[in-house]
Amino acid sequence: MDFGWTEEQRLWRRAVRDFAQNEIAPRVREIDEEEFIPREIVAGMADVGLLAPTVGEEYGGAGADWMMATIAAEELGRADISLAVPVLYLVEAAWGFIFYRYGSSGLKQEYLPRVTRGEAFLGIATTEPGGGSDILGACRTRGQRDGDRWVFNGEKVYISGVRESLDWGGIHLMLARTDPDEDAGHRAFTFFALPLKGTGGVIPTYFDDMGRMGISTGGFALDEVRLPLEHQVGELNKGFYHAMEGFSAARTLIGATCVGASEAALAMGMDQIKLREAFGRPIASFEGVQFPLANLYTDLEGVRLSTYKAAWLMDQMYRHGAATHHDIALAAAMAKLKAPRLGFSIMNEVADWHGAMAYTKECPIEMGIRGIRSYSIGAEGTPNVMRMIIARELLGKDFLPTLYTNKS
Amino acid sequence: MHIVVCTKYTPDSEAKMSVDEEGNISWGDSPLIINPWDEYSVEEALLLRDQHGGTVTVLSVGPEAALEALKHAVAMGADEAVRVWDEACAGSDTLATSYVLAKAVEKMGDVDLVLCGKSTIDAQTWQTGVALATRLGWPSLMYTINLVELRSEERSITVERLLEEGRQVVEAPLPAVLGTTKGINEPRYTSFIGIRKAAQMEYPLWTLEDIGAEREKVGPQGSGVRWPEVFEPPAREGEAEIIEAETIEEKARILTEMLLAEKVI
Ligand SMILES: Cc1cc2nc3c(=O)[nH]c(=O)nc-3n(C[C@H](O)[C@H](O)[C@H](O)COP(=O)(O)OP(=O)(O)OC[C@H]3O[C@@H](n4cnc5c(N)ncnc54)[C@H](O)[C@@H]3O)c2cc1C
Repeated sequence: MDFGWTEEQRLWRRAVRDFAQNEIAPRVREIDEEEFIPREIVAGMADVGLLAPTVGEEYGGAGADWMMATIAAEELGRADISLAVPVLYLVEAAWGFIFYRYGSSGLKQEYLPRVTRGEAFLGIATTEPGGGSDILGACRTRGQRDGDRWVFNGEKVYISGVRESLDWGGIHLMLARTDPDEDAGHRAFTFFALPLKGTGGVIPTYFDDMGRMGISTGGFALDEVRLPLEHQVGELNKGFYHAMEGFSAARTLIGATCVGASEAALAMGMDQIKLREAFGRPIASFEGVQFPLANLYTDLEGVRLSTYKAAWLMDQMYRHGAATHHDIALAAAMAKLKAPRLGFSIMNEVADWHGAMAYTKECPIEMGIRGIRSYSIGAEGTPNVMRMIIARELLGKDFLPTLYTNKS
Repeated sequence: MHIVVCTKYTPDSEAKMSVDEEGNISWGDSPLIINPWDEYSVEEALLLRDQHGGTVTVLSVGPEAALEALKHAVAMGADEAVRVWDEACAGSDTLATSYVLAKAVEKMGDVDLVLCGKSTIDAQTWQTGVALATRLGWPSLMYTINLVELRSEERSITVERLLEEGRQVVEAPLPAVLGTTKGINEPRYTSFIGIRKAAQMEYPLWTLEDIGAEREKVGPQGSGVRWPEVFEPPAREGEAEIIEAETIEEKARILTEMLLAEKVI
């Protein structure tokens, strides 16, 4: 057991913090109001190596391991509690890795260098109007072979980065049913790299979000969309496995980002309670204020460690073959279950400490509350879905609720 | 082109200095960073290298903590890093430090240009660069705000210096010592790939013997400066006055009169 950091990790955290605190933190309100991340921030992230760093160097990435990716997620969360910049970062780091692992080499050559330079966006599209939790049951998007093309019809909703992809170019990894046989179970779905920009038959929509305003949420309908065969990502009818692998990665980074944002909120809160006085003393000296701080800090430290452990397990698996997808799914689900909810509680408490000011836009905490709610509601999986995964790992898949639904 | 950048580690710019009864200076538990003014030198060296080819070596005289500065420079993109140290160097002033730096530069042999920051944020003497140039017998181009042109074939350089009264364009033969100043460029952040290199690289340590330096010329005995007493400056006293007036113009007028009366302007 070693709770220390390697030299590389220590220098990386400092580098990301330095960049993020100088270039991102002062502009969070502007990002939230203008509803986009300024191009110079994205370009700066590219220079530091913050865009899809998990992709190999041959495609402009850094071949970063998951601990390094996690450190960056935490520091970006600390700098931008609205979570817009962290979302851009973590979606690309997690799903870019899946594309790097399973995409065709021609397409990787076309997109990944642009993604790592900040000139293209890379996202994920699984959710449909019928639902996100029941990822397969709700998947009505069909992919059919027609000679040397795949043809798609369907619709995806609540997809991060639709506007970015249309503006900059890029791809979304899209899950589609490729085997019409209802008995094929979860072996009926395949991933495809879908460029939203310039592809005929893609009809985009947008949602007016509650928070993390700097990155768009949208959707798209697919009307006879035709893509060359090389757009298939990974094996035919194995999309579910690739999706689970990507979700584990994304959830670990979400844990770290929420931890970073929570740490920033607590730091802000501590400054406030030390300065603010009531009844002739700093409010930090009241038990009613300092005990919640102690509790929240303790909970946060626990979540922080479990997030690091998830990252560590991922490195154990990918680098040393010493952990399984099950270990990772469990660890990542625990981090994703706890971190956003805890972050939400922390931000609410910190808002209380600020009194009325917290309810104004003079105080950044409201951006944090609006932002972190996206992850506690369920971007990349709802809390109940995390509980289902944890229970599946504990009880075995014989007790999966979906087994019973499908039987009846 | 072989460009050497002299750099030093300093406490973080937000660190609070304190002095104890015995006159020992402490910067608390502040993290150590590269002297912020040196980042401009590293950046300028990297730009020159990218333009003219060659190598950038960062050089620091200091104990192990000096590695912080070297690692930062390597993480920005420097190719090589050298640390020079011997316990005898502790307590060196700029006279002694410039001697060690000059000896190290001479040992490297093939140096075309040495870059220094304008000062360090802790000691603030503004002397090391000039002293180094004098020791080497090379032209000293301090306060350079703009590197106009470097002609590697002709071995000469043209720079624009920032002076109190304005700017001055000067030309000098190479090798030379150039002091950068804020505004000459926008230093880059360190990058993932750079950090990987910085974390894995070996940092050679040169001793006084390695560079052929004489012991009596370093440390306190090699220094011209003595520190008979070190104490915290007395807390500043002053009065604040808030100017009350109806309009902003009126306030400005009152302020101007007061400043004129005090002979500030
Ligand atoms: C800001 C934001 C960004 C998003 N970005 C993306 C994206 O980029 N790509 C993408 O594909 N999707 C994205 N999503 C969608 C997200 O993945 C889904 O919202 C999520 O999976 C939940 O799906 P749903 O919204 O349809 O809710 P539902 O699946 O309808 O769930 C509603 C409620 O029912 C509960 N529930 C469902 N099943 C069970 C069960 N078996 N037991 C107990 N409770 C259950 C859920 O926990 C939840 O509370 C995003 C969502 C948000 C909010």
